[in-house]
Amino acid sequence: MGFADHFPALIVIVLFFAAFFSPLLFRWAEKFSAPFVTAALAAALVMTVTLLVKVQQTGTVLYHMGGWPPPWGIEFKADPLRLYILLIVISVSLWIFVYAVGDLKHELKKEVIGWYYTLYALLVGSMAGMALTNDLFNLFVLMEICAISACAIISIKEDRECFEASFKYLILSAMGTGCFLLGVAMLYMATGYLNYSLLQVELAEALTLYPRNIFAAAALFIVAFGIKAALFPLHVWLPDAHASAPSSSSAMLSGLVIKIYAFTLFLIFYQVFPRELLEIVPLNEIILWLASLGTMFGSIYAMLQTDLKKMLAYSSIGQIGYIFMGIGFNQDLALVGSFYHIMVHAVTKAMLFMVAGVIIYSTGVRQIKDLAGIGRVLPITMLAFTIGSASMIGIPGTGGLISKWYLALGALEIGRPFFVLVILASSLLNAIYYMPIVVNAFMHQEDFKFKAKPVPRFMLVSLVIGMIFIVISGIFSKPVITLLEKSITVLF
Amino acid sequence: MEVLNGIIENYYYMVAIILFVIGMYTMLTHSNMIKKIIAMNIMDTSVFLLFVAIGYSDGGQAPIIKEGAETIYVNPLPGALILTGIVVAVSVTAYALSLVVKIYRYYGTCDYDEICEIRSQE
Repeated sequence: MGFADHFPALIVIVLFFAAFFSPLLFRWAEKFSAPFVTAALAAALVMTVTLLVKVQQTGTVLYHMGGWPPPWGIEFKADPLRLYILLIVISVSLWIFVYAVGDLKHELKKEVIGWYYTLYALLVGSMAGMALTNDLFNLFVLMEICAISACAIISIKEDRECFEASFKYLILSAMGTGCFLLGVAMLYMATGYLNYSLLQVELAEALTLYPRNIFAAAALFIVAFGIKAALFPLHVWLPDAHASAPSSSSAMLSGLVIKIYAFTLFLIFYQVFPRELLEIVPLNEIILWLASLGTMFGSIYAMLQTDLKKMLAYSSIGQIGYIFMGIGFNQDLALVGSFYHIMVHAVTKAMLFMVAGVIIYSTGVRQIKDLAGIGRVLPITMLAFTIGSASMIGIPGTGGLISKWYLALGALEIGRPFFVLVILASSLLNAIYYMPIVVNAFMHQEDFKFKAKPVPRFMLVSLVIGMIFIVISGIFSKPVITLLEKSITVLF
Repeated sequence: MEVLNGIIENYYYMVAIILFVIGMYTMLTHSNMIKKIIAMNIMDTSVFLLFVAIGYSDGGQAPIIKEGAETIYVNPLPGALILTGIVVAVSVTAYALSLVVKIYRYYGTCDYDEICEIRSQE
């Protein structure tokens, strides 16, 4: 085996390696700590791209840890869909990291910044592992790493709201992983395997022998991933956690962490459960209704908020609903839409949280009503907010339109036009709470009431990158859509 | 009768599920944070118990293969998995307890309801 054959494992290992060495570097040679983690993320990005090119040419790559084939060893699987998610995770986290390095100086005590880099690299590494792994127990371990590091990048800010929010998050996510592990035990009991591909073959047979085990496992998985990904009635932890965290953590949590769990649920539905199970039990229908309620109620709650970051957090609950809708429709066009939305929303929501971070850094304002007239003081920042809002609503020329378009096409294809109305109504609701902020920021008669510090250049550069990406994703969507269509039609 | 026999034969599974439900209920209903953490551990342990019970077989021996001897072995995989699971549960507990310590320093109580009261008075 050549060096390039080990890339699936190395992507994860490089990030964990960076996690353990960055605090040491921070102590001995502070200057090199941030560039070191950036280099690790960039290396992971390069490996992902190489792997994606290779997979496109030669087909799916299977990697066996330590050379042990399944069912004995852990298997990593690199197919175009997983690599697409991996590419989003790593490139978006690299982008957020560049912003975080500058912004953290203002939000955290100096001595914990090295530890923040550790947690950040662990979080990205565990998410990369979750996207690649093909083994349920390995998934459990990575989920726990992800949960601890996600809670810790909230509580590292050391104020009491953060402690409470992360305790709530930790308890609920521990419940989620408890349910998940019980579900895994049920499947293991029925088949004796933990590998996705072997399970799918065996479960088709076990479904007639032990139906109760498998139904219980399906229910437990929906609860587990519903909690982790903040599916509507199980979202209670999200607003506090995402609103109180430092801005770069909020961007990471809202942009990537909730989506990786939605993707894992998708993998379990389509690569672990046999097709017959989805036909016997209306799992997709349950997810569809919860997701539709989520898109409506997330927006309604968001309208009632007075705090900017809280509003963005509630908006995430609405947006994750669109991603789950794709799984709910159980149809290839809708799934293309929801996968496109994973990318668009990751960039948009991360950028909006960065905007909130810039506003808080520059003026100290958090309340929505105080933002009147801010557009004249911070023009580029509020332009970014405007483009981000446009993408959330789904205005033509932004990525948000493309994903909603495909979701609606999927709904029409299976003959359920009611859900097109749901998508339209929730877009209108989005407009109701995003647009007043934009209008007030630019058109308000009086001047902005608070003093504004000049914004550092790196912050503005990160915002500009986000804006450019959102517009490009709205106009040149062809290559990504072709990739998604090719890899999703295989599943049906 | 058939159901009852099934339960009696597989009583260890029932015990695990009952423990799981006790843990989940306590975790969701009690407002004391320490009790929540204890409940979290009960819940995790119940799943570990279930996992280890799956691997057990009557009269089984430790899976060290001897040439020629035909014996029943206990499945070693669940045990190996649960060792990892225990380590994960310990680290989550440690982190949760450290958060409780920090919260206690701010409010002087570990009770969630009392904290809400203190916050509403401010």
